[in-house]
Amino acid sequence: MTQDSASSGNLSVQRSALSVERSATVAAAAPVLAARSLAKTYLTGTQRLQVLRDVSLTVLAGESVSIRGESGSGKSTLINLLAGLDAPDAGTLEWGGGPAAAGRRADFLGIVFQSFYLIPEMDALANVLMAARIRGRIGAAERSRARELLAKVGLGERTTHLPAQLSGGERQRVALARALMNGPQLVLADEPTGNLDEHTGDAVIELLLGLCRDTRTALVLVTHNAAHAAKCDRPLTLHEGVLG
Amino acid sequence: MPWPIYLALKQLFPSGRRFPFFTLISILGVALGVALLVISISVMGGFGHEIRRMIVDTQGEVQVKGRGYLADAAPLHAAIARVPGVVATTAYAEGVALIEHDHKPAYPALQGIDLEHVDAVIPLRRFVRLGSLDRLDDDSVILSSQLAHSLGARLGSRVELYSPLLLEKLKNDEVMLPRELEVVGIFEVGHQQLDSSVVLVTLRTMQDLYGLGRGVHGINVKIAEDADPDRVARLINSALPPEANAEARSWIDANQDFLFVLQLEKNMIFFLLTFIIIVAAFSVASSLLIAVVRKTREIGLLGALGGRPSQVAACFCFQGFFIGIAGTVAGLALGFTFLHFRNDLIRVFTQLTGSEEVLARFYQFSRLPAYTAPSDIATIVICSIVISTLAGLLPAWRAARLKPVEALRSE
Ligand SMILES: Nc1ncnc2c1ncn2[C@@H]1O[C@H](COP(=O)(O)OP(=O)(O)O)[C@@H](O)[C@H]1O
Ligand SMILES: [Mg+2]
Repeated sequence: MTQDSASSGNLSVQRSALSVERSATVAAAAPVLAARSLAKTYLTGTQRLQVLRDVSLTVLAGESVSIRGESGSGKSTLINLLAGLDAPDAGTLEWGGGPAAAGRRADFLGIVFQSFYLIPEMDALANVLMAARIRGRIGAAERSRARELLAKVGLGERTTHLPAQLSGGERQRVALARALMNGPQLVLADEPTGNLDEHTGDAVIELLLGLCRDTRTALVLVTHNAAHAAKCDRPLTLHEGVLG
Repeated sequence: MPWPIYLALKQLFPSGRRFPFFTLISILGVALGVALLVISISVMGGFGHEIRRMIVDTQGEVQVKGRGYLADAAPLHAAIARVPGVVATTAYAEGVALIEHDHKPAYPALQGIDLEHVDAVIPLRRFVRLGSLDRLDDDSVILSSQLAHSLGARLGSRVELYSPLLLEKLKNDEVMLPRELEVVGIFEVGHQQLDSSVVLVTLRTMQDLYGLGRGVHGINVKIAEDADPDRVARLINSALPPEANAEARSWIDANQDFLFVLQLEKNMIFFLLTFIIIVAAFSVASSLLIAVVRKTREIGLLGALGGRPSQVAACFCFQGFFIGIAGTVAGLALGFTFLHFRNDLIRVFTQLTGSEEVLARFYQFSRLPAYTAPSDIATIVICSIVISTLAGLLPAWRAARLKPVEALRSE
C-alpha cells in the first residue's frame, strides 16, 4: 500500500514535464476511436434488456474520456463493444479510421479490467510480455520495453515476482504495463480501481493518466469515482443507454 | 516460440514452483503405461524370438520334405545348393520307434542326422549338454534330457530300439533282434516337447531301422543371414525337378498357426496395456478440463489481448502433447532400465520368495528373454503420444469455445 502511493508521487513529476508537448499534438489528431449509434440488447430467455440504445463516441488521439454511470447502466457492455470483444446489434465502430477487427486488437488497443487477470504462473515481467507475445513480436527490444514500463509503474524491482506475491495495487499496475506494452493508440479501462482501496486507487489512476499522457495514448476510463472522472479531458455519463 | 506453446510450458512448469505436481504426476501416469508396454512386449518378443530361434536351430530356416520318402537325395542337394540364398543342406530321416532301457519303454521321435553335413545347418553341438556329438556313430544314440531322465538312462547306458521294420520282418517269419545302442550324449534345447521326446541317431542307423536304403525323408536348408526364408523356399520349389516329389517350406510357413497364436497374444497384451495409457490420458484430460474451468477468466484475457480461439486451443493441446512426449521418453527409459536389469531383479525376487527352481523348471529357463522390435517401439511411441494429445483435445475445445466477454464476466 505504502509503495503504491510513494511511486505515484514520482510519476506525477514526470508527467508535468511532458504535458506541454501533448497539447500541441491533440489539435492535429485524427479520431482514434469512432463509435456511431451503438446499440446492444441482451436476451435472457424471454426477457429483453436494452442496455445501450444509441451510443456515439469519438475519441481523438491522446485524448482522455471518462464514463460514469450507475452500476448496471451498461458501462462494461460499452467497453466490450469498443474493444471489439462483443458485437453491437446496431451501429458502427472504427479504430484509427479503419474498421475494428479482432486481428487488429493486439496492435491497436490495451485493456485494463477491474480484476487484474494476471496469469498466475508467470512473473510480472512475463505477464507484461504476454501482450507482445500474443501480438507476435518478442525480442530484446520488447523485453527492455517491458522492464521500462514496469519501472515506470514503480515495479522495477519486482519484475520476477509472481502475481501472488504482489498487492492488489501492484497487480493492477502490472496490468497497466501490460495494456501499454504494445504501444497502443487507445487504452480502455473498465473500473480499474474497483477492487482497490481509495488510496491505492488514486495512485493507480494518477499512474494511468500520467502514462497515457506521456505516451500520447487515448484513454477511455470507466469509473464510479467523480474525482477520477474529473481528471480526464472529457467527462461523460452513461444513463438509460445513452452517453451524454 | 509461438505464445500458445510458451503459455503451455508456463502452465506445465509455473515460474517459482520447484515441483509442478500436476505435470509430474501426469507424466508419471503415461510413463508407467509406456514402461509396462515396453517391458511386456519385449518379454513377449523375447519368448517369440527364443522359440523362433529354437525352431530354426533345430530345422534350419527352410525344410524340403518328400511326399513319402526321397529315394535318392543327391540330385536334390545339388539343385537346392544352386538356389541363391542357400548356404548349406543336410539330409534327415525321421520316425518313431520303441526304445527300452532297464525294462522301461518310451516312444520317442527318432531323428537320423547326417553327421557329415549337420554342423553346417544346425548348431546341434550347442544343445549337447553331456557327452559329445563327435561320439555319435552307428552304434550309439543321443537322448533328450527329459527322456533320459524318465528312462533312467545315463551316459554309457545301453538302450534297445525296436523299429516298425521289425514287425514287417516278423510277418515274414524272419527274426530280427532289437538294435542295442549306447548313450553317448544328452541334449537339451530348452523346449518341453523336444526335450522329452527326441532321440538323435545317425542317418545310417535310421536308414537301417526303417529299411530306407539310401533314402531320406527330407533336407534341412540353412540360408544366408539376410535372405528371406519364404522367398528362398519359393525359389527352391521352382528349382526342384517335378519328379522329385518334394516340397520346400520355410519355418514361418510351417509354423504358421503357432506364430499366429504368438502374434495374437502379443496383440492382445498390447491392446490391454494400451488401456493403461488411455486411463492415464483420461486423468490428464480431466486435470486439463479443471484447469480450463479454473482459468476461464485468464483464457478470456488472452482473447482480450488478441489471442485467437485456435491459439488458445493449441495451448491446451500442446500440454497434452508435451505430457505425451515426456511420459513416453520417461516410460522408455524406465522400461529399458528394467529390461536391462531384469535378470538381476528376478534373481532378487526369486531369492526372496524361494521360487528360483520353480521358475527354471516350469519355464525352461531361469533367465528372462527379451527382444524389442524397433517396430513395436515405434508403435508404442506413436500410440502414447497420439493418445495423450487427444487428451488435450477436449479441454482445448472447451477453452476455444469460451467467449472472452463471457469468460471475463464469470466469477
Ligand atoms: N451477457 C449478459 N446477458 C444478459 N444480461 C447482461 C449480460 N451482460 C450484462 N448484462 C446486463 O446488462 C446490464 C449492464 O451490465 P454492465 O454493462 O456490466 O453494467 P455496468 O458495467 O455499467 O455495471 C446489467 O443489468 C447486466 O445484468
Ligand atoms: Mg461494469
